[in-house]
Amino acid sequence: MRGPLAWNVARVIGVLLACAGVPAFAGNGWVSIQFEPPGIVLQGAGASQKYIVTARDDQAHQADVTGSVDLAVVSSNPEIVAVDRDKGTLVGHAPGRATIEISFGDVKTSVPIEVRDQSHEMTVSFSRDVMSILTTKGCNGSACHGSPAGQNGFKLSLFGYDVAADHKMVVAENDGRRVDFDSPEESLLLQKPSFEVAHGGGQLMTPESDAYRTLLAWLEQRAPLDSDGPRMERLEMYPRERIIVRLERRQPLVVVGRFSDGSTRDMSDEVRFAVDNEAVVSSPDTSGVVTSKGRGLTTVMARAVGKVATSQMIVIDAASGMEHIETPENNFIDGHIFNKLGQVNIAPYPLASDRMFIRRVFLDAAGRLPSPGEIEEFLDDPRTDKRGRLIDHLLDSPDYTSHWLVKFEDWFRNHQYNSQGRTNASFKKWIRQMVEEDWPYDETVRQLQTSTGDTTVHPAGNFWHPAMDFMLRTFEPRKITPTVTRLFLGVKLDCAECHNHPLENLTQDDFYGMAAFFTRLKVKHGYGQYRRIWYDERRGELLHPVTKEPVAPRFLDGTTPDIPERADRREVLADWITKTQKLQFARATANKVWAEYFGRGLVDPPDDFRSTNMPTHPDLLDELARHFIDSGFRFSELHRVILNSRTYQLSSRDPSRDSEPDRLGEMLYDRYVPRKLPAEVMLDSIVQVTGVAHRFGNYPLGTSSKDVVATNGPDYFLTVFGFPRRDILAQRDKSPSLSQALHMMNSDTIRGKVEADQNVLTDLLDQDLDDQAIVSHVFERAYAREPTPAQWASISRFIADEQQAGRTRRRALENMLWAVLNSKEFQLNQ
Amino acid sequence: MTRQIDGPGFSRRDFLRLGSIAFGLNLPTLLGASGRGDTSCIIFFQNGGMSQLDGFDPKPDAPLEIRGTLGTIPTAVPGVHFTELLPRCAKALNEYSLIRSVYSDQAIHEKAKQYIYSGAKPGNDLKHPVYGSVVAKEQGARNGMPPFVVIPRKDIAAEAGFIGSAYDPFITGDPNQKNFSVKDLTLPTGVALEEAQGRAKLLSALDAELEAIESSPLVDSMDYFYQKAIDLVSSPVAKKAFDISQEPDALRDSYGRNSAGQGALLARRLIESGVRLVTVFHGGYDTHTDNEEINKTLYPVFDQAFVALLDDLRQRGLLDTTLVIALGEFGRTPKVNYSAGRDHWPGVFPVVMAGAGIPGGQVIGSSDARGGEPKDRPVSIEDLGATIFKKLGIDYTKDYHANGRPVKINKDGTPIKELFV
Repeated sequence: MRGPLAWNVARVIGVLLACAGVPAFAGNGWVSIQFEPPGIVLQGAGASQKYIVTARDDQAHQADVTGSVDLAVVSSNPEIVAVDRDKGTLVGHAPGRATIEISFGDVKTSVPIEVRDQSHEMTVSFSRDVMSILTTKGCNGSACHGSPAGQNGFKLSLFGYDVAADHKMVVAENDGRRVDFDSPEESLLLQKPSFEVAHGGGQLMTPESDAYRTLLAWLEQRAPLDSDGPRMERLEMYPRERIIVRLERRQPLVVVGRFSDGSTRDMSDEVRFAVDNEAVVSSPDTSGVVTSKGRGLTTVMARAVGKVATSQMIVIDAASGMEHIETPENNFIDGHIFNKLGQVNIAPYPLASDRMFIRRVFLDAAGRLPSPGEIEEFLDDPRTDKRGRLIDHLLDSPDYTSHWLVKFEDWFRNHQYNSQGRTNASFKKWIRQMVEEDWPYDETVRQLQTSTGDTTVHPAGNFWHPAMDFMLRTFEPRKITPTVTRLFLGVKLDCAECHNHPLENLTQDDFYGMAAFFTRLKVKHGYGQYRRIWYDERRGELLHPVTKEPVAPRFLDGTTPDIPERADRREVLADWITKTQKLQFARATANKVWAEYFGRGLVDPPDDFRSTNMPTHPDLLDELARHFIDSGFRFSELHRVILNSRTYQLSSRDPSRDSEPDRLGEMLYDRYVPRKLPAEVMLDSIVQVTGVAHRFGNYPLGTSSKDVVATNGPDYFLTVFGFPRRDILAQRDKSPSLSQALHMMNSDTIRGKVEADQNVLTDLLDQDLDDQAIVSHVFERAYAREPTPAQWASISRFIADEQQAGRTRRRALENMLWAVLNSKEFQLNQ
Repeated sequence: MTRQIDGPGFSRRDFLRLGSIAFGLNLPTLLGASGRGDTSCIIFFQNGGMSQLDGFDPKPDAPLEIRGTLGTIPTAVPGVHFTELLPRCAKALNEYSLIRSVYSDQAIHEKAKQYIYSGAKPGNDLKHPVYGSVVAKEQGARNGMPPFVVIPRKDIAAEAGFIGSAYDPFITGDPNQKNFSVKDLTLPTGVALEEAQGRAKLLSALDAELEAIESSPLVDSMDYFYQKAIDLVSSPVAKKAFDISQEPDALRDSYGRNSAGQGALLARRLIESGVRLVTVFHGGYDTHTDNEEINKTLYPVFDQAFVALLDDLRQRGLLDTTLVIALGEFGRTPKVNYSAGRDHWPGVFPVVMAGAGIPGGQVIGSSDARGGEPKDRPVSIEDLGATIFKKLGIDYTKDYHANGRPVKINKDGTPIKELFV
């Protein structure tokens, strides 16, 4: 397997050159240059397009050279297209084709350019183009004309959910005084936002701007509702991603729109920019240039005409001075992770020690601590592949099944309250079987999506329960729709229910189109108050809330499937999700599993894929997804490949670095970040360390919290430590709280186990061991290690002081055990 | 990607600089925040959205499908009527101000609650801190009591958002339960304070090694809450304050023996002991079906609890220094739906405000003939927020920071001048 080359030499030279003000990686020579945007097709004479040029060295480090004096950009035919070096644009002069020759030092490249005939008019559509302007300029926002009463008599639907009404309002209302077809420039629709006449919303566009010109063209075409002319299909931003070395460095951005007739248009001056985190790069200035401000990773977004383009920016200081050692790779995950770390000059942490690794992998894979015996066995194992074997062993264990079935209960919402007893238990059993037998996930999803019948007998139908309305009588398709899209595709549809999503292209029509797949699912209440029977009625329609027309089932990509009259629409949707959208389905799922192991997804938050929420490692996510698909959608393979990666096995500590955390490094997985244990694992671990079982209702003592179906609600401990309400697709609450601290400190739960007549201390004292041996054993159980000399010194002093104060040795040891359970190291997975 | 500030929002170094604060009463505010804050706040939250037409703003002249079948009654203010479900509030109108023209634009519970409970429109990437969290951050703890308390359960809208989870509320549980006590507030029986102190010192020693290496917001957070827990446990004020059984039965009856009533009573107790902002969440208002049937039992509960609270506060001389608010996240549709219910309606809805110098007997603004839109004196959620912050002595115009950007907790809201006389 290849590993990244040593960076030391390049880094030192880089530092020296950076001090000299030259791009930091010149030391190794440039090997390629790239002219962007690609595929420029200017729409006619006078059309222009901004460009940028990027140089790359032989280690794929990039530098922007657009303004460099060593750059030459020459047109093969200036009569067709000319180059304006000062403005950094290409300008079309006459229809035809030409080539642009670019050279930077010894490196050359060339790109073809086409100039079209401008007489081909671009027709403007209200429903697409004008509506988009109204949205991106904020006209139909809630503070302005989208507010309940509108502004000054001009009322638009909030974020444009009612196109027909808005068209009427603009063109026909108020005696049509907003549009003037004889003198289009006199239309109020133009004069107000350009502040030709007083406008409470201020000036939102100048007459030279694209938005103004678009509206003017629309008025000249007599304000049609829709049109057939070429429309913008995509917005793109270049560079797509960039690593900027050093602060206060400038990076120009270019935004281009691609049209349905193959032409392009420079949108750089027309977009609204936004930066996710302005501590990393500044918001683009009027010429579309960002400046690096601080170390980190962020996304730049550009919005126009209803579309979004993004670019990922990473900023690093000049050489961090890290000593790099060649990093071995265990599998493709490491390839992607270490490659990116290499590009930003961050060295991954060392490998976790065996002790650190065994505690972590037990907690993550099997939801419990390793016993002192298991630790010793692992440490003594001489085989070089012992970690891989341990992983295989854990993934085969019943503990793994119990641990992961709880996670799937969260995913599928095995809600404790609505279903009550029998159905909760039946769903849990079904999920347990799914995990144990490693069912292909596409099959599982199909079963969930198409389930019918009595849910005590056909448990997959429990999936529908939380989508019933609050009086628990009828099933609400609108409630299940956002759950299905979030859970299986990672797409949040929630806002689209009432109005169009302001940042993305999801509309209310998308929402209702998806909801229509569930509209024929009905529920009967059976014998016994909480018995529910699901069936597909094979007829009935969902009515659109605004138009009151029946909504045809429509996929999120806009296509309407041909569904035979009596077919189950849910089957069609299940096919679309697991087959047509296979890659996204796999991405969303792999991302959720990744988030379980690393505390954050490659897309984070994990259930929120959108163009304004890019993955940190898009290629890794894709390869993980394909790995999942190729394995037959088996979770065991995902677990195996993640747990076996060196990335997962990196230490959380490195004594050679200072303790100030490197947030950028953490986002790129340079170390394992310590995390809190989930509630069930916490409780089970307390049981393990103290040796005292926890009582769960009538379950036999010794039952794990993961195996309990709590019909009266979960144990208080679990609630306080983040057991989720499973009626919505919320993530578990991972944050610490005052209630947690109080509970660990004062609760009867902790006290009961620490002071129990029969617990770990009793056993150890019965064996006549001395204090040090007892403390060592407790440490092995809780931390998988021995106390440090300083810790042992504190503890032995404590035990002495306790006895001085008149308490017994046993009591002193109980207080020591209390302190161990309350310690952060116990409560964290590191 | 969404970037929130996790953790308490300050570093452990600040902690250590202030010295040991364990086992101390009358805590100084942790960041040396300047807001002294003499006015406390109780918010009665009608969870789910109260119907304006069935409560504070009936329209007896509207068609049947809008006005419903409830009767109306006169109030202490001539010309002003409520429905028959709020007799006590009607009689007590001279003690508070009613705003009938509040409007929002959020129709989803979670977003609408976040909006009205923080005064700032919820964004896609930023969660604004709710009022209690801002108060907790700016004014800090008093008497060793948690500054921000929620009764009875955690609500998804009641979070500190971008200012950090250290300012999340403390949750009490349901005070209407028999033998109510806040869980884990006292040392286990048999563990003396001195013993607790001793083992806490050992705990510090055990944590020292990890804390030296791992300086993350998570570890800082855990540390922060641990210290706060010690403070609470060592405060004699706290144990008493949460002990509602010390209230006479007659008083407990007068509030109403239900979660809302006992919650309001506990809120008064907590204000007295130094809590700065308490919110009582009263659920059940989301009447998509059988609206009137439900309201007939629900609204009188509110009616009793709220007026009992005002009376109680006044009798103890606390009303002048306590801002009392009753609100929900939106109103309900003017037109009754096919399930005899009313759905979400942010178009217009009422908010009640009392105490802290707010004049009584005042009705501000009005809604249109069908109770759907504000007719005059529309009051935005931002205006409401500015009003609340101003009453509590908080500067809502200054910049906070989140996602690397300066951010305001209130966008151009104007305090409602009629409430400051």
